[in-house]
Formats: sequence, C-alpha cells, structure tokens
Amino acid sequence: MVVTVRSSATGVASAAVAVPFISTNTAEALMLGLATGPVCIASCGPVVLPWMLVQPQGVRVHARQMTLFLGARLVGYLLFASLIWMAGAAIARTWGEQTWMVGAVQVLLAGGLLIYAAGWPHAHCAMAQSEPPGLVQIGAAPAEPPRPRPTGAVALGFLTGINLCPPFLVAGVRVAQLPSLANALAFFALFFLGTAVWFMPLLSLSVVRRTPSFLTVARMAAVLLACWYGFSGASLLIEKAIYG
Amino acid sequence: MASAAILHPKRRPPPFRTVGRSVLLTLPIALWALLMFTPTLRSPGLNHHIGAAAAVLFMTLLFFLMMRTGKTFRWRRYFFVALGFLFPVGFIASLIHLRGSMSISLEHMLGGDTPFCHMVIPMILIPAALTRTVIFPGSILPTATNPHSVAVMIGLWLALTLVLGKAWCSYACFFGGIEEGFAALPKHIRIRKIDPRLRLVPWALLIAVAVLSAALFEPVYCMWLCPFKAVTEFPAVTGVKTAIQMGIFVALFVGLVVVLPFLTKKRTQCGFFCPFGAFQSLFNKINLFEIRFDRTKCVDCTLCQTACPTMALSAESIREGKTLLNCMKCGACVDSCKKHAAVWHLKGTPVAVKPERARLLFLYGAWALATMLGGSIIANSLATILGFLPIR
Repeated sequence: MVVTVRSSATGVASAAVAVPFISTNTAEALMLGLATGPVCIASCGPVVLPWMLVQPQGVRVHARQMTLFLGARLVGYLLFASLIWMAGAAIARTWGEQTWMVGAVQVLLAGGLLIYAAGWPHAHCAMAQSEPPGLVQIGAAPAEPPRPRPTGAVALGFLTGINLCPPFLVAGVRVAQLPSLANALAFFALFFLGTAVWFMPLLSLSVVRRTPSFLTVARMAAVLLACWYGFSGASLLIEKAIYG
Repeated sequence: MASAAILHPKRRPPPFRTVGRSVLLTLPIALWALLMFTPTLRSPGLNHHIGAAAAVLFMTLLFFLMMRTGKTFRWRRYFFVALGFLFPVGFIASLIHLRGSMSISLEHMLGGDTPFCHMVIPMILIPAALTRTVIFPGSILPTATNPHSVAVMIGLWLALTLVLGKAWCSYACFFGGIEEGFAALPKHIRIRKIDPRLRLVPWALLIAVAVLSAALFEPVYCMWLCPFKAVTEFPAVTGVKTAIQMGIFVALFVGLVVVLPFLTKKRTQCGFFCPFGAFQSLFNKINLFEIRFDRTKCVDCTLCQTACPTMALSAESIREGKTLLNCMKCGACVDSCKKHAAVWHLKGTPVAVKPERARLLFLYGAWALATMLGGSIIANSLATILGFLPIR
C-alpha cells in the first residue's frame, strides 16, 4: 500500500512511502477481533446457542450451517464497514442512537428464533434422527437425513452481523479513520476472522445426542430468548415512537 | 398375629427404632447443633438465646423423629417449611435495619451492597469465563454492610453441593420451603394432569438466562424472573421498567409459589421453573447418594410418582429402577412406598442391600449442613420476631 506522507508543519507532501498493511492494520484488526471475541460471542450467544441446539446431530451438518451463518455474518460486517467508511465515523457514533434500527433487528431476530422453535426449517430431519426408524424396505439404501435449509442460517447470520455490540462499534470507529474503502473492508474482514475463531468451540455441540427431550429444551430456550428479543425490540420501537 | 390385626385394624405400626437407639443415633446431630449455636448462646441478648435454643431443639427433635419413625420427608418438611417462611422475616428485618427499605436503589447496587444469593451462580459462570468479570452488583468479599458476599456464598454452595448434590433443593435452599408449605395445605390434589414436558422448562430457562446474562452483563433472572424478589429484595420502582419487573415478580410468586402448589400439591416453582434447580441437577451425577427402586418388590402402583413433589419420577425411570436427574432426595417416594421398593442408595454398592445405612450416611451430612445453614437462619429469624414482641 502506498500513502503520501505530509509534513505536519507545512502540509506539503514530502514523500510517497510504502506502508505495509500487514504490519499495522492487519495485526490491529486481527488482535481486536481476537481480544473482543469473547464479548462478541457473549452478545451473539442468545441467538447462536439455541439455533445450534435445534440443529440435527452431526459435525458435517453443523459445520455447513456454521459456515453459512458466518458467511452471512461477514456480509453484514462488510456492509456495515462500507457504510461507516462512506459516511465517516459519525455514523458509528450515532448508530447507537438509531434505536428504531436496533429494535427492528431485535424483533427480526425474535421472529427468526420463533421460526426455529416452531421447527419450520428442519423439524423433520431433526426429529428423524432422534426417533427410531419406521418401516424400511429390505435392500433399500439407508435414507440420508434431509439437510437443514440454508435460509435460517443466512438470515440469522446477517442479522447478528448488523446487530450492534461493543466490539463492533469499536471496530467501526477505527474503520472510519482508514484511508480507503478497500482498507476498511479488509479491516472488518480480518476483525471478523478474529471474532469467528471464538465461534469454533460451539461446533462441539454437534456431537451431543439429540433426544426428543433435548430438542424440546432447545426449542423452549429459543422461545424464551425470542420473547426477550421481542420484548426488548418492541420496547425500543415503542420508546422511539413515543419520545422520538 | 392375623387375629390381632383383625381386632385392631387401625393399630399403628410398630416404631422403626427403639427410643434408646434413636437417641443414640441423634446424639451426633445434637452435639453438632450445640456446637453451631454455642457462640450465639454465649453472646448477650435474650432473644438470640431463645432463638438459638429453639433452633437446637427443633433440629435435634426432627432428626430424632426421623430415626424413630424411619420417615424422612415428613419431618424434613417441618424444617424446610419453617426455613422458607422464616427466612424472609429475618432477611427483610436486616434490610430495613441497614437501608430502611426492602427495595434496593441504584446507589446501593453500585456500592456493592446487594446480598449474593445462590440463584445467581449459573448466570455468572459464562461471563466470568469469557471476560473474568463477576456480573453481580455485590462485593466479592464480605463487608460490614454486606456479609453475604460472592465468595462466602459460593464457598457455602460448593461445600453443600459436594455433600448433597441436588438435595440442596430439599435441605439448604431457603426459598423452596414457602411453596412446600402451600403444597402441604390441601388434603386433595385439585390438578392432577400435568404435562411431563413442563419439567424441561427449568433447563430451557437455564440456557436462556445463562446466555442472556452473558450478553447483557447483568443477572437476568434476578432482574426479571425471580419470584422470591416479591418477598425479599427488589429494585426500587422508579419508572415503567422497574414497575414491569415488580409486576413480574409478584405474578410469578403468586402463581408458582402460592396458587399452583396449592392446586397441584407439587413444588411447581422448583420443579417447573427454577433454573438453579436444573443447574444443581447436574451435580446429582457426581453425588454419592441417590434413590433407587428394587424391581423385585415394585408393583408399579405409582404411589411414589404421585408423592414426588417435582415429578422426578416417570414410569420409564421406575422401570429402570432409577429416578430422573432432577430428583432432590426429599424422601417422599421412599416414605410413600408401601412395598419398600424405593430405597436410599449409596453409589457403588448393591441396590436395596442395607438401604438404611445409605439413608443414615446421607442424613448425617444433609442434616448437619441443614442445621448449620438453615438452623442459623431459623434462629436469627426467631430472634428477630421475638424482638418485635412486647416481651421483656
């Protein structure tokens, strides 16, 4: 990367020097992601945990779903980074004041969790694995459990990607100071990478046996968390509507 | 014998143990109780002397009756209900003495004056692991204004949990006694059909409050869902949010602790709501004591299932000779079993071989800790009540 160095006294460009992106911004973005990852996962936990628990058992299924989730989350991150870079740091500072947006995201998250709790995306395959097989034709190949649909993972990933949390805002403020959009996107992508590492231990949930009781508990938890998101989101929207 | 039974059809069964043997078995608990309350008995203040003496007598007498009759649940219930109803008395009195009100202001919260209660433990674990922060507005170490600090309560909880496992909920929890009292009031069960899936709710609630507490950095259960806030301590009502919180506390208390236990004769808050209870169930896996069923004697009469206050028995679990994970070892099933198929059991030993030995071993530990924690609460609360009476 090439930047122009200006003299602080005269303001005249004195030289064009190559600043290694890896040594400065890369390390900063990665470290910021890694350091604030625990807060990130704590913020996303109420969505990610019940969503993972209602998934059918199996490492491959979980890995695929997690990839979709993280991919969509990355898109949300990059979108946010682009907006912040274009609008300047002001948007990051006022984003928190846009309570209607936070409220709307929370209501949407509540809806997403309720859909999962109702078992719409993959109830059939989750339950199929937890119950004994029925009549099987002799000689027929064993039926492969149907895959969960990707829509849910993508939707929840994107919504958590644009849902505000303290590390997200810190990264947003830093991105606004970067010289180019490419830098901003690279910064947020690396920041995302640092935080994504913390999501990997959640894959261990894939090996827990899905009994009917387990799935019932997971769905109940999803309903309870949806209630909270719904309540919190609706409160913010009502507050905004009343007080402006 | 047969003719005697016909002549005296309602004659009481012979006592489980002789008086002499029962006294001998009670001696260690009596000495322990005296040891626990000696400092109180030696300190000035007649009210405290009377309270401590009553607690010693009460705990010793109940243990003697357990030994004499062989029944556990019936006598434990007297202690537990007394603890449940007396705890708020002492607690509220100390709050009013310290702060002048049951409500806690933001100022006191920030000052670390909120007493720590065991219900918070599952909520502080994830934030503590992820960010090394205790998300509770209390002090880590005891202070002059707040002796119930995080370290003290976690230490007590850990010690009791290692000995009792989920039996914490029957011998140590100072909240469960209120609903057990209301469940004991009616003679007949008014609501018999309870969906067995309800016993999964505490697990779901545990997951929800644990992750939400980590996300919001506050103990969510205490802030929004604890029914016992209605009779202990609650955030001062200063606006719509705190009014909603207070409404939830009162509604949950009335519904889960008063009305539903009365209608179902079950501990509905403990069995179908309390996330701490679900968390505590996990320690049943490592605890040495459990209830088992001797399948050679069991006639599947389901009396034990009806008696169980938290629905910790299912037809399937009884067929397997076990209880469910949420069994809190109250002894209701053992006491109700007419065939003596439900027995106390020490893990690693054969089932139904010397079950009384397992019961004794469990009860010594459980009752000693109950005397230490619950007995002292009873003594203090009695002293508080005596302080209000116009007797000098």
